[in-house]
Amino acid sequence: MRLEGAWGWGVCDILLDVIMADAIWVAGLVKKFGSFTAVDGVSFGVAAGEIFGILGPNGAGKTTTLEIIEGLQRPTAGEVRVLGLESPREASRIKGRIGVQLQSSAYFNFLSLREILGLLGSFYPRRRPAEELLEQVGLGEQGGKRVNQLSGGQRQRFTVAASLVNEPELVILDEPTTGLDPQARRNLWDLIRDIHRRGVTVALTTHYMEEAESLCQRVAIMDRGKLAAIDTPGNLVGQIKTSYTVKLVAAEPLTENQSLALGWGASIGLLSQEPGAAPGEGYPYLLRLDNNPEALNGILEGIVRSGVTLKHLEIVPATLEDVFLELTGKELRD
Amino acid sequence: MLALTIANLKMLARNRQTTFWALFFPLVLVVAFGLFDLNSLGAAELAVLDRAETPAAAAVVRGLKAVPAVRVVVAPESVAAGRQLVAAGELDYLVVIPEEFAIGGPPTPLELSFTAANEERNQLILGILRQLAGDAVQEGGGPEPPPLVAARPVDSRQVSYFDLVLLGLVGMGIMTNAIISVAVRISNYRNLSILKRMLVTPLAIWKFFAAEVAAQLVLALAQAGIILAVGVWVFGAQLNGNVLYLLPVVILGSLIFLNIGFILSAWANSPAAASGMGNAVAFPMMFFAGVFFPTATLPWLLPYAAEALPLAPMLTALREIGLQEATLGQVWRELALLAGWVVATGVAAVRVFRFS
Repeated sequence: MRLEGAWGWGVCDILLDVIMADAIWVAGLVKKFGSFTAVDGVSFGVAAGEIFGILGPNGAGKTTTLEIIEGLQRPTAGEVRVLGLESPREASRIKGRIGVQLQSSAYFNFLSLREILGLLGSFYPRRRPAEELLEQVGLGEQGGKRVNQLSGGQRQRFTVAASLVNEPELVILDEPTTGLDPQARRNLWDLIRDIHRRGVTVALTTHYMEEAESLCQRVAIMDRGKLAAIDTPGNLVGQIKTSYTVKLVAAEPLTENQSLALGWGASIGLLSQEPGAAPGEGYPYLLRLDNNPEALNGILEGIVRSGVTLKHLEIVPATLEDVFLELTGKELRD
Repeated sequence: MLALTIANLKMLARNRQTTFWALFFPLVLVVAFGLFDLNSLGAAELAVLDRAETPAAAAVVRGLKAVPAVRVVVAPESVAAGRQLVAAGELDYLVVIPEEFAIGGPPTPLELSFTAANEERNQLILGILRQLAGDAVQEGGGPEPPPLVAARPVDSRQVSYFDLVLLGLVGMGIMTNAIISVAVRISNYRNLSILKRMLVTPLAIWKFFAAEVAAQLVLALAQAGIILAVGVWVFGAQLNGNVLYLLPVVILGSLIFLNIGFILSAWANSPAAASGMGNAVAFPMMFFAGVFFPTATLPWLLPYAAEALPLAPMLTALREIGLQEATLGQVWRELALLAGWVVATGVAAVRVFRFS
């Protein structure tokens, strides 16, 4: 069994994961569609009671990974255990104990919310009343409405409610906040935290950094079918080369000497002109500071020495965005 | 599964488009065909059994042939055979010219057999024939003859065109609705990921399809019932056979067309495409399988091709049962054909179906 992991998992880590990960355990997962490899040897575990996030751009293989876990697709190779049950062999027993929200999943057009929840509940031996579910997701007043009468945020909360009909031990959410406005996104985060507080394990995918950072206890970074890293957001940020990102807007384009002064003074990892600058608004530059104690002082000295006329200066600590950039060599955007 | 069937019925009832295709469209046609007096269309078919073979008889036949509203067809072998044809609706009028019919001969009247299907036309034909017979015997300047034509009404279960079309419309309504409704619904479900959503629940997926079929069957039976009720009670169509015998025909037919709907839904990439494909299959079948016109009127080998369509045996069985009082045993061939179609389309549907 070959395990992928940027931080080089030790045997102890693997054992620990197997013991702890009673919600989801995936080893050496491969999924091929013809000659295209969507998932390429992925291994990870999700412990009971955590909020686990898979972060990655579109096409990274997140959804395919989740669909294999949910029993919607068969893996080409690898092992999957969900709640201690083997998938896909025990798929129907797994389905009874998990709740799933599919990406962009709508529901029957001609049934009310209450009727849809009642119908979905009828497929399970253990079910929760529709009113209680709607109350929990803040749609208590909307039970008689149709799905197409809801706003985007309400619809997304409804699909989360639908994933809870069977009192699942594990809820799998595929990009639950994609396409939502910031307020609706925050409401949904609160809802996910509320579900988690009630003792439900949550596994979700996202391509929003803030979401993974603020919501997830552990994050797996996925790119091109492989896991690039897996850890807590704090550890991931702490382990990368970049410590701070400097956003600098100069009145005039930087001369070569000025660039050199900035670069040498701060031992900058990367210096790039930000794209999309409008004329008259200055010339924005993005600098990533190396993870060393002198970096902050160094950049300030560099700015002074270069004599750049600043229009704007912003120094922010590294985020998962930087982790992603460093691990995959590309920006993570919508 | 019962919950799912009930939910399906609710959705079907709330979807106005479904209601339109299932009920309104065939009903519009029922009303249209009910309002037009289709029996007055075309020439009356008339056969002459000439036993006299006299110049007077020849004059009558000549006269009849000259009437534009009458088409003289080949005579039957006997009076009894001719009257049977009239009773079955395959011949409109039978004229029997007695042996004694000649100029100046004894006043033996011609016999005209007809049914009560078209009272006005009967009077017209009777009048024409009286005139011709009178003229023929008076040619020699003989005396004013006694009444020369005897009416011989035939008591028949005259099957009118509307009766045939009504049962055709039952078949058509079931076919178009089953094909289009299922193709559009399932393709819509796939687009909305509802099929996937069902797959992540522990529901056995055959139950999902069984519930879909069950709901559609309920709809098909309701549809057949309403169409027949409007046809019979509003427009006075005949329905002679045992209506319960129509049930298995309606169910088998529905299953075939539901299967075809499932197949189309697998090929279509969007509900709109599914609807177009459904229409492309349903409309030619509606005309070629004999909803409105008998398949025998098609040229060349086309009648055989038309009989090979799944709607054809369904229509035959519906008409045999509904109009000729056939029992299920008498339409076993059609039922077997339909069952074969159910199996064949079912196998194909299972093979091509896709969930995403």
